[in-house]
Amino acid sequence: MDSGTVSGIVTVVFVVVFIGIVWWAYSRGNKDRFEDAGKLPFEEDDAPAQQGDKK
Amino acid sequence: MEATTYNYKVVRQFAIMTVVWGIVGMLVGVILAAQLIWPDLTFGIEWLSYGRLRPLHTNAVIFAFGGSGLFAVSYYIVQRTCQVRLWAEKLAAFTFWGWTTVIVLAAITLPLGFTSTKEYAELEWPIDILITLVWVAYALVFFGTIAKRKTKHIYVSNWFFGAYILTIAILHIVNNLELPVTLTKSYSLYAGVQDAMVQWWYGHNAVGFFLTTAFLGMMYYFIPKQAGRPIYSYRLSVVHFWSLNFIYMWAGPHHLQYTALPDWAQSLGMVFSLMLLAPSWGGMMNGIMTLSGAWHKLRTDPILKFLVTALSFYGMSTFEGPMMSIKTVNALSHYTEWTIGHVHSGALGWVAMITIGSMYYLIPRLFGRESMFSTKLIEWHFWLSTIGVVLYIASMWIAGVAQGLMWRAANVDGTLTYSFAQVLNTMYPFYGIRLLGGALFFSGMLMMAYNVWKTVRIGRVVNDAAIPQAVHA
Repeated sequence: MDSGTVSGIVTVVFVVVFIGIVWWAYSRGNKDRFEDAGKLPFEEDDAPAQQGDKK
Repeated sequence: MEATTYNYKVVRQFAIMTVVWGIVGMLVGVILAAQLIWPDLTFGIEWLSYGRLRPLHTNAVIFAFGGSGLFAVSYYIVQRTCQVRLWAEKLAAFTFWGWTTVIVLAAITLPLGFTSTKEYAELEWPIDILITLVWVAYALVFFGTIAKRKTKHIYVSNWFFGAYILTIAILHIVNNLELPVTLTKSYSLYAGVQDAMVQWWYGHNAVGFFLTTAFLGMMYYFIPKQAGRPIYSYRLSVVHFWSLNFIYMWAGPHHLQYTALPDWAQSLGMVFSLMLLAPSWGGMMNGIMTLSGAWHKLRTDPILKFLVTALSFYGMSTFEGPMMSIKTVNALSHYTEWTIGHVHSGALGWVAMITIGSMYYLIPRLFGRESMFSTKLIEWHFWLSTIGVVLYIASMWIAGVAQGLMWRAANVDGTLTYSFAQVLNTMYPFYGIRLLGGALFFSGMLMMAYNVWKTVRIGRVVNDAAIPQAVHA
């Protein structure tokens, strides 16, 4: 196999993997789970800690 | 018994040291900029010569300032988004003291002239081993905390931190395989062009994974928090994560255009560098669009200004980088001041500004306060930094293009039009502007130090903050 063929195969594999990732990220079935994950930083108590340690 | 609080102690230690090392590293940078104008500035003392101080500057700003900042935010974010206390806290304490020891050792050995001569990996083998130990401890603490998380999902910031921790471990070990001769001298295991390729595979991925991926993790948490709304598109961040990390790995050869490296490897490096534009700008858009509907906050909130301006510089330098990797552009730009300008557009504009913004968010919370001592000082810091970076990179662009054009200019008979000294002479005004820009940026850091000092004085040390109990995700 010459280097041109290898380049071709590798390019095709990479493109397929990329399309697979995009499909996975944007598929309808995953919509809710990603939206949930995006809210994680807000599911917490934001107020500064009330009691600091003793100095 | 299950812990009911977060570990803030190690976060606080790293956060304070981020400010300290930022000042030290940038001060050395200002001295270096001045040395290029006045070579005798340090009275010919060898420990303070340009060649010794330069690696000290790069190591201090990247690994001491940037590194401490990353330890701080990753420990903070992983706890808060997993809603558990750090796993293996003694190991976490070891990472702080170990990392700080590494930095102190670097500050001693580099001026003394001990160096393995690999850029961004100059430290000699005993220090390399200590770095490896600290890093393994870091990985254990980080992934251990993720493993015991209470939330269902792993927030995207943690994916970025995870990729950075894993990759830096591999890069550090492979690039620093070396044969010790004495306690302070070793030789690389690789030779010739292989050595160069391994070095720049490491070097570029230090930029890609240390200075980009990890700081994107910072961006994906602090921009939503400070803007008060979730990231614009979480799904885009998933595509951003995988494509950025995948493509970055291959871009290293663009540091070796027109060298003994095989042509196909040079072209490969160029093509992957060009492709990097897509995920980089995707991520930048994602961060900026998070502000849609909250743009008015930019007027009044200097912390948000820092974070968003950082993203703008990220966009600029990730456009500039792919462009500079094109062989014909590289023929002009390589080895000139343009490269220095590009690096600082990323390092000051992106890395430092996103870190500074994040620290202004983080530090009051670590000391039980709502906000920093003075918002006005943050505003001042913001403008000093922005003007400083713009002066820095604009002067280096002009200097670099002029330098490249003068170096390649030839007379009809094939001799060079300009001597090296003539080109150097042309650089002086631009070196002056660069020094001014750097000094402005540095003075902003001094304001930050004062602001942090006052905040700490009137605040209370918080080692532990309560984990929200009624959470289930």
